[in-house]
Amino acid sequence: MTMFSQNPLMNGPNYSFSQTPTMASGANKEHSFYPYTDNGGSTLAISGNDFMIMAGDTRSTSGYNINTRYSPKVFKIGGTTSSQDDATLVLSVVGFAADGHALKEKLDAIVKMYRYQHGKPMSVKACAQRLSTILYGKRFFPYYVTAILGGLDEDGKGAVYSYDPVGSYEREQCRAAGAAASLIMPFLDNQVNFKNQYIPGSGEGHALVERAKDPLPLVVVEALVKDAFDSAVERHIEVGDGLSMMLITKNGIEEKFLPLKKD
Amino acid sequence: MDTLVASYGRPMFEKEHVEEDQLELYQPGPSLSLKFAMPPVAQPSAWLRAATDDHANPNCPIKIAHGTTTLAFRFQGGIIVATDSRATAGNWIASQTVKKVIEINSCLLGTMAGGAADCQYWLAYLGMQCRLHELRHKRRISVAAASKILANLVYSYKGMGLSMGTMCAGVTPSEGPALYYIDSDGTRLAGNMFCVGSGQTFAYGVLDAEYKYDLSVDEALALGSRSILAATHRDAYSGGFINLYHVKEEGWVKHGFNDTNPIFWKTKLEKGEFSNVTSELV
Amino acid sequence: MFISRSEYDRGINTFSPEGRLFQVEYSLEAIKLGSTAIGVATGGGVVLGVEKRVTSTLLETSSVEKIVEIDRHIGCAMSGLQADARSMVEHARVESQNHSFNFNEPLRVESCTQAICDLALRFGEGADGEESIMSRPFGVALLIAGYDEDGPQLYHAEPSGTFYRYDAKAIGSGSEGAQAELQNEFHKSLTIEEAETLVLKTLKQVMEEKLDSKNVQLASVTREKGFRIYTDEEMAKVVERLPAN
Repeated sequence: MTMFSQNPLMNGPNYSFSQTPTMASGANKEHSFYPYTDNGGSTLAISGNDFMIMAGDTRSTSGYNINTRYSPKVFKIGGTTSSQDDATLVLSVVGFAADGHALKEKLDAIVKMYRYQHGKPMSVKACAQRLSTILYGKRFFPYYVTAILGGLDEDGKGAVYSYDPVGSYEREQCRAAGAAASLIMPFLDNQVNFKNQYIPGSGEGHALVERAKDPLPLVVVEALVKDAFDSAVERHIEVGDGLSMMLITKNGIEEKFLPLKKD
Repeated sequence: MDTLVASYGRPMFEKEHVEEDQLELYQPGPSLSLKFAMPPVAQPSAWLRAATDDHANPNCPIKIAHGTTTLAFRFQGGIIVATDSRATAGNWIASQTVKKVIEINSCLLGTMAGGAADCQYWLAYLGMQCRLHELRHKRRISVAAASKILANLVYSYKGMGLSMGTMCAGVTPSEGPALYYIDSDGTRLAGNMFCVGSGQTFAYGVLDAEYKYDLSVDEALALGSRSILAATHRDAYSGGFINLYHVKEEGWVKHGFNDTNPIFWKTKLEKGEFSNVTSELV
Repeated sequence: MFISRSEYDRGINTFSPEGRLFQVEYSLEAIKLGSTAIGVATGGGVVLGVEKRVTSTLLETSSVEKIVEIDRHIGCAMSGLQADARSMVEHARVESQNHSFNFNEPLRVESCTQAICDLALRFGEGADGEESIMSRPFGVALLIAGYDEDGPQLYHAEPSGTFYRYDAKAIGSGSEGAQAELQNEFHKSLTIEEAETLVLKTLKQVMEEKLDSKNVQLASVTREKGFRIYTDEEMAKVVERLPAN
């Protein structure tokens, strides 16, 4: 199964500490075509009953160097103005920032054109499928990115769609991507999907009763996002500096920026 | 005159890019024209392999992993299709909830093994071709024809690095229950029973031992589920949930997307199988 | 006037000094030779009806196809050169499938009509990047009926590439009389059954042959059943409902 190659450089039984890209055989290095750089960072999306949150840190690295402390990875998509105030969709991209940027620009243009051509705003479901075909259009020269798309579906419920670099996608409750995905995702499994949480005293061993999967309120999810990033910053060199967060509700998108540790 | 200067004054590569890009904005994607962006190197397929094939290059930047169990078999009541739901990239479990049975239309199912994007994209493409066939010829496409469309398609991309091992299952009035295996090498086989993926041998083990053509529907569903369970137990690349379908003449019916863990314990404690696993959690 | 006409009606991309494109205007004439087709939109769905012009008793009437499916939720009736309609319908089908492949949702009826009209303009030398694919304008008009999130809709698409939305529209040889009849009889509260009767009643008035269940064809687009061509039995029932005279 090929999917969600979130930790593209992860190799062997280690954590998310990615190495700088090296060639298979160092001798041929000058002659090879290598158009990618891993710019590190991490993104995270969680959906709720009537909201969704998309977040990403703002550090950009190459190797052990920090390029900038403010390079957002989360973007509004398909608004009608240049400020994107009235957008209803958000896209996060992590991996190679240049590819990510190109992808975001392209999707934004397509969503804007769609509004002119079909006289209605694009639904998340439609945008999710289109993003998949955009990514697959470069199947033989992939965008080196893991994308997550967020918005509210036709019923007003939060929607999170996660992608692999060549366009396979799935709608999920939550998803972490990028360098610290392997640090954040297990935390989300436990705290959002209540994996391995049982009602205390309900039984022994496999007779245990699972905790009910109640939907989380926005304040709780917001706190989870902050905790997830604070923890990731603590243990991953490519994550840090700032946290850019978008809260999507029926009232539109609220943007928040929080500082993260800068070391 | 100005337009002439403008169109010839610009370098060739720049001009082509602008036009293609703009065209894509309103003429969606490569789906029908099948135009894909290619890396600007002499041998794109070799470059792609170096960038994505972790077997040939362990340090490849875009990891495409291979691990899955899918199965389908024909029996007197139609076809059973069952899969696990785990997606891996190296040792990382990328997802435990992948839908590896793709609903091509109300009567045709495809399964997904190999590259998830390849399978998702081309089976959706196949769905579109099947629908067009239906509109043009006023009758449903046969499973043989549908599988051949897919086989010819992937064959035309041979050597480019597509990775898929898929089964097409459907019941049509002309063919009855029909099952085909198609992979990205271009292989296309008709058969009664296939298991595909890293856990295929484990699934075959259970399936071969218990399979009979005369199985009742309930027995067949149980066998499909049990075979996947065996594979998830012994193959680390398989796991998650058991996705179960039954294809009948009237169309397919979904029989659940169930967590393997409770099914495993139920199988062990109620049927006494897996007795080498201790039930006491010491 | 006559002289200028003969000079400017050869080039399909050349305006006459009065600002007319004669070949496009002639293509509209071709439709007036075609069999009559009628569409009526109601709140519950759209009904399409055509006359089949059975020219010989030896003709297999089921092979005369003047109403076709574009997608589950869109269908169309044609009048004019049928062979031209084939390529328009094929284009519309592909566009519709392409849209659901790319956006995972059905194509809107207006967008489908727009796609057909885009094709209608692909004659002549073509603009930058778009090669010419036809040597002349289409000689066929379509009535496009569909159901989407905006409810049931009926569009009329012409060879000139223009389209309009109608409550009720007739095209083809009997269109003038039929349109006048529709103008009198149409009201917003029509039911599907009433629309079926209205379509057949109007066809009956303008047809040269005597209307029976074999030489006309009906189809409808509704939310529940999508596009559907009426079976022989259903046709017989509707024909029976018609007031005799």
